[in-house]
Amino acid sequence: MTHPADMQEALEAVLKDEIIRMYQEVADNPGGEFHFYHGREAAERFGYPTAWLDRAPAGAVASFAGVGNPHERSHLQPGETVLDLGSGAGLDGLIAAWQVGPSGRVIGVDLNPSMCLKSQAHAAATGTLMECHQGRMEDIPLPDASADCVLSNGVINLSFRKRKVVQEMFRVLKPGGRISITDIVSAKQLSQSIVNDPKLWAS
Amino acid sequence: MFSLLEQSGFTRVRSAIVPGFRFRKEATQNSAEAYGVKAVMMTALKPDKA
Repeated sequence: MTHPADMQEALEAVLKDEIIRMYQEVADNPGGEFHFYHGREAAERFGYPTAWLDRAPAGAVASFAGVGNPHERSHLQPGETVLDLGSGAGLDGLIAAWQVGPSGRVIGVDLNPSMCLKSQAHAAATGTLMECHQGRMEDIPLPDASADCVLSNGVINLSFRKRKVVQEMFRVLKPGGRISITDIVSAKQLSQSIVNDPKLWAS
Repeated sequence: MFSLLEQSGFTRVRSAIVPGFRFRKEATQNSAEAYGVKAVMMTALKPDKA
């Protein structure tokens, strides 16, 4: 008999592949139609200033797949260290890097190594310093107490282990550090058919 | 998420609905509304003496 923990692990593995596939598709085919708004249209909808969107590389803007504007209340200061959890093509990381300046540090973490390469290429194109580490949000590849602020935009909802993600954000923050995240929440328990369907969950 | 943040030790947890969020496809938006799906902005602090 299969143990429920083994079943969850198997489902998580399938989900990981589906998440990589879906957001890679947004990055590779930003002109495509998805069930969510993305790109400049989405960023403008969430109030990203035009100056930021004009300054960022077109590819970073076109691949934006966030659900809000975590910068609105992040209050980033020059010199701060910022973790962008689920950094994707890098738009939020770039914006953070411009705010913390050359004395600061922005570290992106993304499940997909090719998205890390893409975000770093976008940073290099604008002469912006930004790192990206491939890793999972349930096991953030950063030491304890290393960030002043954690930003995240629409990715925590993709995890089956949200408690672990929150504990990891707490661990990597310095005492007095903060989070500024935007994400999707549901008022009702999702049906088992949704939970067991990686395509729907990854949405 | 709100309670997960508090249970994990975060303080001053605040949330607000993201205005303007909706799914592009009508069918997805309708399903999302049926489940009370919303986009929210959340901020929280790790206490100085954590």
